[in-house]
Amino acid sequence: MGRYWEIASTWTVILAASIAVWSLAAATLPVPDYFLPPPAAVLSAFVELTAKGMLPMFIGESLRRIVLAALLGLFVGVPIGLALGISHRTAQFAYPVLNFFQSVSGIAWLPLMLIWFGFGERTILIAVNYTVLFPVIFNALLGIRSVPPIYVNALRTLGASRWRIVRDVLVPGALPNIAMGIRLGLAYGWRALIAAEMLVGANGLGFMIFNSQAFHLTARIMLGMGIIGALWVALDYFLLRPIEEATIDRWGMVQR
Amino acid sequence: MISRWRGSVVTVGRGTAPFVVILIAWALVTRAGVLPAIFLPPLGDVAKTAWQMFQDGSLWINIGASVGRVLVSLVISVPLAVGLGIFVGLHRRLSPVVEPIAGFFNALSGIAWLPLAVTWFGLGWVSVTFIMFNTIFFLVFYNTLVGIRTVPRILEHAVRTLGGSRRHIIFHVLIPGAMPNIVTGIRMSIGFGWRALIAAEMIATSTGLGFLIYNASNFHQTDTILVGIVTIGILWLLTDRLILQPVERWTVERWGLVSSSR
Repeated sequence: MGRYWEIASTWTVILAASIAVWSLAAATLPVPDYFLPPPAAVLSAFVELTAKGMLPMFIGESLRRIVLAALLGLFVGVPIGLALGISHRTAQFAYPVLNFFQSVSGIAWLPLMLIWFGFGERTILIAVNYTVLFPVIFNALLGIRSVPPIYVNALRTLGASRWRIVRDVLVPGALPNIAMGIRLGLAYGWRALIAAEMLVGANGLGFMIFNSQAFHLTARIMLGMGIIGALWVALDYFLLRPIEEATIDRWGMVQR
Repeated sequence: MISRWRGSVVTVGRGTAPFVVILIAWALVTRAGVLPAIFLPPLGDVAKTAWQMFQDGSLWINIGASVGRVLVSLVISVPLAVGLGIFVGLHRRLSPVVEPIAGFFNALSGIAWLPLAVTWFGLGWVSVTFIMFNTIFFLVFYNTLVGIRTVPRILEHAVRTLGGSRRHIIFHVLIPGAMPNIVTGIRMSIGFGWRALIAAEMIATSTGLGFLIYNASNFHQTDTILVGIVTIGILWLLTDRLILQPVERWTVERWGLVSSSR
């Protein structure tokens, strides 16, 4: 209870101080209004866009896309990575390819995808899912391969079956890497989504901030940025942290 | 000596074999003519385009622009971020307040700043560099701060009990203890920065690899796009292999807490 109180009070102080500094800067700096709109303008942009229903819609669209990519990464990417990693041969074959594809972000593929799939939802979804999937697969494979062979050998000497080794040694040993891959993939994917919505989109938060720039609606840009940051913090708190707590803390070597 | 040489040949062979398979599949698909060349040009065309861009220097100019931006941003923001991170981390009253702010800007880093950057600085290299600076600075700053804060207090107490001065503690306990985190931060910042750069170049400038491939897609020059993508991938693999991995290995061995079971 005391800890929550401390976090809440710290945040209140931070927010109050930054809003005060920001208002002061907006009021005193000799720049046009669209350069640095005051906090009040951002608040009224929030009220206006919420009343019109645009903001909830844009948030919903962006969230839908990233959650879809997260689910695909978890339930398709992880199993693929594990399956490829279990056999020494497939791992050796897949490693360089996965490394190459995970190092080229989905955004770099976007120009090609625009030609292949056109300007639309399909291109955004494919770019984001690509960006999430490859780091997830790659790290799951890496996780399996980095389990010290001595553990596998120990269980094998004791007569464990292959399935037993996979279930009790390889998969638990790979969990910290899997969690890392999911975090990295989603962090890249969230940014790729914003960029793809800017370049392709007709909706979503990326589109909202990019389009507002053309009309010098800076308050809307700042509102969008605040929401993008806050959504990531929420995603981190409600999805990534629990995954890490269930894996890295439990199976990994955390120094406390 | 000979066996070592043979070993490296085998390694290179293993590394390239999967790509050879992909190239063969690509050649087969284009030869069969199932896809129009605008979707997937034949390998020969891409090689020809690459050679042309190689010779007329356009590939080099764009590589230079992108890599130059990465280097400039790194040189400006890494020392600043590490310095400030250490400074804030040392102040035990300041750091709990700064940490969540840094965390928030970290979550926001990258391409989301583009519209605001364009509003402030217009289209051009300043906007792109600002985004890069932003991405690299907050990642490194945050990781340095967390690194300093998570050095076990017991080590500090031990040195202090033995009569170590504050200066001694900072330079021989806290900074070395934070080193693995700092290096991880820099490594991540290059990954995130490089991706943000490609996206920003597509929108905000007229040079660089991001611009090259985005502009090519407007003219349906699929071969140029593919040359650009492969260049981006190769540049990253080279950075990773030649700079990031050695530095990381060195820091982890030198400063890290490697468990003895490995």
